[in-house]
Amino acid sequence: MGRRPRPCRCVAGDEPAVTLRRKLLLAFSATVFLCVLTVTWIVLTTTRRAFERLNEQQTEALIAQFRREFKRRGDEVMNKVTNIARNDSSARMAAAASTSSRDYAQFVGDAKDIADTQQLDFLEFADADGTIISSAQWPAKFGYKENDVPTTGPETNQSFLRREGLPDGSALSLSAIRRVEAGSAVLYVIGGRRIDRSFIASLEVPAGVRTILYQNLTPEFSRELLIDSSGEVARGEALEGVVRHVQIDRQEITQRVHWSSDSVDDEDIYAIPLSGHRGELLAVLLIGNSRRPYVEFSQRIQLAAMIVAGSGILLAILFSSWVAARVTQPVEQLAAAAREVAEGNLNTQVEVHSADEIGELADTFNRMTREILEKRELLVQSERVAAWRDVARRLAHELKNPLFPLQLTVENLVRARELSPEEFDEVFRESASTLLAEIANLKAIVSRFSEFSKMPKPQYQSVDINELVENVMRLFQAQFAAGSIECRVELTANVHTIAADPDMLHRAVSNLVLNAIDAMPTGGTLRVSTRQDRGRAMITISDTGQGLTSQERLQLFTPYYTTKKHGTGLGLAIVQSVVSDHGGKVTVQSEPGQGATFIIDVPDGLEKLPRENASGSNYSMRGESGA
Amino acid sequence: MRRFVSALVVFSSLIQVAPCLGGTRPRYGGTLRVNMQAALVSLDPADANSADPVALDEISHLLFDTLVRLDGRGNPAPGLASTWRSDSGYQRWSFTLRNNVRLSDGTILTPQIATASLRSVNPDWRLVASDDGITIEVSSACPQLPMQIALTRNSIVQRDSGRLLGSGPFTLSSWQPGKHLILKAREDYWKGRPFLDEIDVDLNRNLREQTISLDLGKVDLIDLAPGQSQRTTSEGRATVSSWTNQLLCLVFRNGNPSEDEQKLREALALSVDRKALASVILQGDGTPAGSILPNWQSGYAFLFAPSYDLRRARELRDEVHLVTAWSLGYNGTDPSSRLLAERIALNAQDAGLRLQTSMTPNPDIRLERILITSPDTHVALDDVARQLGLPMPKLTGASTEDAYQMEKALLESRRIIPLLHVPANHALAGNVHGWSSQWDGGLGLADVWLGTSRP
Repeated sequence: MGRRPRPCRCVAGDEPAVTLRRKLLLAFSATVFLCVLTVTWIVLTTTRRAFERLNEQQTEALIAQFRREFKRRGDEVMNKVTNIARNDSSARMAAAASTSSRDYAQFVGDAKDIADTQQLDFLEFADADGTIISSAQWPAKFGYKENDVPTTGPETNQSFLRREGLPDGSALSLSAIRRVEAGSAVLYVIGGRRIDRSFIASLEVPAGVRTILYQNLTPEFSRELLIDSSGEVARGEALEGVVRHVQIDRQEITQRVHWSSDSVDDEDIYAIPLSGHRGELLAVLLIGNSRRPYVEFSQRIQLAAMIVAGSGILLAILFSSWVAARVTQPVEQLAAAAREVAEGNLNTQVEVHSADEIGELADTFNRMTREILEKRELLVQSERVAAWRDVARRLAHELKNPLFPLQLTVENLVRARELSPEEFDEVFRESASTLLAEIANLKAIVSRFSEFSKMPKPQYQSVDINELVENVMRLFQAQFAAGSIECRVELTANVHTIAADPDMLHRAVSNLVLNAIDAMPTGGTLRVSTRQDRGRAMITISDTGQGLTSQERLQLFTPYYTTKKHGTGLGLAIVQSVVSDHGGKVTVQSEPGQGATFIIDVPDGLEKLPRENASGSNYSMRGESGA
Repeated sequence: MRRFVSALVVFSSLIQVAPCLGGTRPRYGGTLRVNMQAALVSLDPADANSADPVALDEISHLLFDTLVRLDGRGNPAPGLASTWRSDSGYQRWSFTLRNNVRLSDGTILTPQIATASLRSVNPDWRLVASDDGITIEVSSACPQLPMQIALTRNSIVQRDSGRLLGSGPFTLSSWQPGKHLILKAREDYWKGRPFLDEIDVDLNRNLREQTISLDLGKVDLIDLAPGQSQRTTSEGRATVSSWTNQLLCLVFRNGNPSEDEQKLREALALSVDRKALASVILQGDGTPAGSILPNWQSGYAFLFAPSYDLRRARELRDEVHLVTAWSLGYNGTDPSSRLLAERIALNAQDAGLRLQTSMTPNPDIRLERILITSPDTHVALDDVARQLGLPMPKLTGASTEDAYQMEKALLESRRIIPLLHVPANHALAGNVHGWSSQWDGGLGLADVWLGTSRP
């Protein structure tokens, strides 16, 4: 606890990584959202099905009611027509109509009077051949034929739908017909009630349901022929499709009608064809079931679902944040600790608060860092001992060479003094000269060691690596021209400048070129190339010499290690030191007999430059030291 | 004239008012309550735009007199003029005014008043007032001038600041145009005071209301629509009918029809089953007509005998590629008028013609009932043409042949299709007595008196 996890960067790129906490948060939120969505869908589906069931039940009940009402009205009409037919006046009319004179004059107004008395909207008397004697609805029609009189068949005992011709058009009626026989005279009584607004209004329908009647009186659809309990149907043209379907198919259909762009106004229309006794389509009964209750209920459910979902997601975020924090905090601490370890801070520990898997992981991590620390101490100690041993061996080796001539010269002087005093002076002069030379040699060795230990820190400037390489190669130009080494310089065009110490980098590249030349005593090809990639600059020096063994590759950058007869073993160490001081690395690729390739890989490090040196190359060579 | 006299005999036989057939002494006093279907808004007898000229004619007889009146046989008789004579060319007529005739405000009727009254109605006449009468000069020979003078529109009226003053047996006591009027008997009437004290007239009453009122004893006299008289009589009510002095006809709004339009109009005329109209709808209260004037009046009407020829009507219709839909207007307050119109439309439909009954103000065709105002053929034709707004053919003479040619020209204008000649019918209460035979079937209320008991 106490360590705050640092933002982690994705290794593969710069895109922000999704943390475990966010993943958990998203997972919790998605789960809650999906749950609410599923519940809402289930509720909506169930509601819709329930509504549709209710709708079907209402429609069926209404149809049954309409049929009952239709039959009841039909029975009423039948009773009234029967009463009229049984009346003496009908018998007299029948008798009068059967005479040869057929005097309709005395009866022309009778139908109207009787219809008024019997509260019938339509009433006609027709003689045996269907000639109208008297008509209530169209008094002027006397003498004309009535097509609905069943002159060739038995009369029907049931009421039927009928289209009534009127002076100003036609109307729909629920009619009945009765035959009156007075001796040989026959009279038909045809009476009916108009199916109109009042008929529709008499049907009791539940709230949200309405009945509309389309009177199929003209071949073309006309919205004026639509009537409901309030009269003419507003925007009746929307029902044209339903009516047309029924007109064509003569079957019951259900269709949804959109009265406006608002789905609340939608209505499910159940259309029933109503035919006359000859099968002709006379009307279409439209039972409209408003979808307003369902849509409003559905909208309320959706609103509630949205509120619940929103609240749920909010709560889920809060809860999952808390849970995720509880779950991920130890992991994040472990991750932060691992990053510190990766950065070299092996003395990193995480606090263990639980005994679960996370706790065990933290404990294991602590144990691991402790062991690494201990091992590293041991390793450092052993490496330090080995280094001192190596230095001692190198010093012994370096110092042994000049000391041995010194010893021989001193012993030669002692012997010359004892054996031939006369030649002592001459021997003394020669020995003194030898002693001075070897002492100078010893001083030179000490000086080089001193120089390695005093490597300066880089003074960063803006450096063009192509220019730097060209300057290095220019130093060896005469050597290449005189020898058998072919030099190939391959520089990548348009490289950007980097931040580097030009002298130190020049020295490192020079050392590698010199090493390559030394590796090809019998000639070969030297390749030097430059490259830049993703903010890093790379200089590659390849030779076609004898190559390196794996053991040599491992020890190559160890100070004072050399495979050359006259080398100090500090050249490549200096190269590694320079490159390392620039934040880069130097690598070698080599196999025995196949030459070697050294790659200097340094970051451009432009942020290390002073602002005035951020652009342009300030490269200039201060001097050169050999490897 | 013999035909006319015989027709009068028939008319007299139609008067079925038993209580008035003698045996009862006339008495003065009482108010006669009358219901009329008409909604008169003007009582001016010269009002050519009156919606109901029959009613106007009847009321005018009570308020105004003419210089010449027609007696029960339709012959000219002295009215406000005691005598008249003409020159040999029948162009200059002199009328001598009766003395001491007073208008309803008490002023003496003068030749100047009579001249002014006639001039307002007949601007073509040259009228000169003399000391004892007036002289009328017309542009061409007019032997029927006394018959024209006897027309109601030529009643002598003094128009004084909107007031109408006449010399009739009654004076206007109360007047609500279109609703109600009360006529009060004049004590100083030149022919003697009428028996009735007052006549109370309710206007604009529909026929059903009138019948109910008569049955309830609330009214003494009502109108009957054509076709109602037979049923009314069969129900035991007293009725009175004139002879067929009204013409039921179709009148086209537009004149000068094209050749195709003429064929269609002829097809319409042929498609109408007039017999069914007369016998069924009007219950025999009419006779099919192919002429404007009835045969009893003109003597030549059989030459225009109506024909019902549906086949020919269809042929004429098929000859025309013109699709015409006519609107047929009728008097909405008269139930028989509606029934007649619907039947005509139905007949026209059989001939392939489109005719739709309508209550629009200006229909293509109107079903009209025209009053034949004069027993004289020429005068009657002239007046019918005037009532219908038809151009009057030029008179060439006073003979029957001339009248025939004139009527033929009127019919060939295709503006009018005669349908039926019908009588005027009234029903009256049992206490109404003293009907006198008017030539035109008018009420003749000036001579009516009321019995003591009401039914």
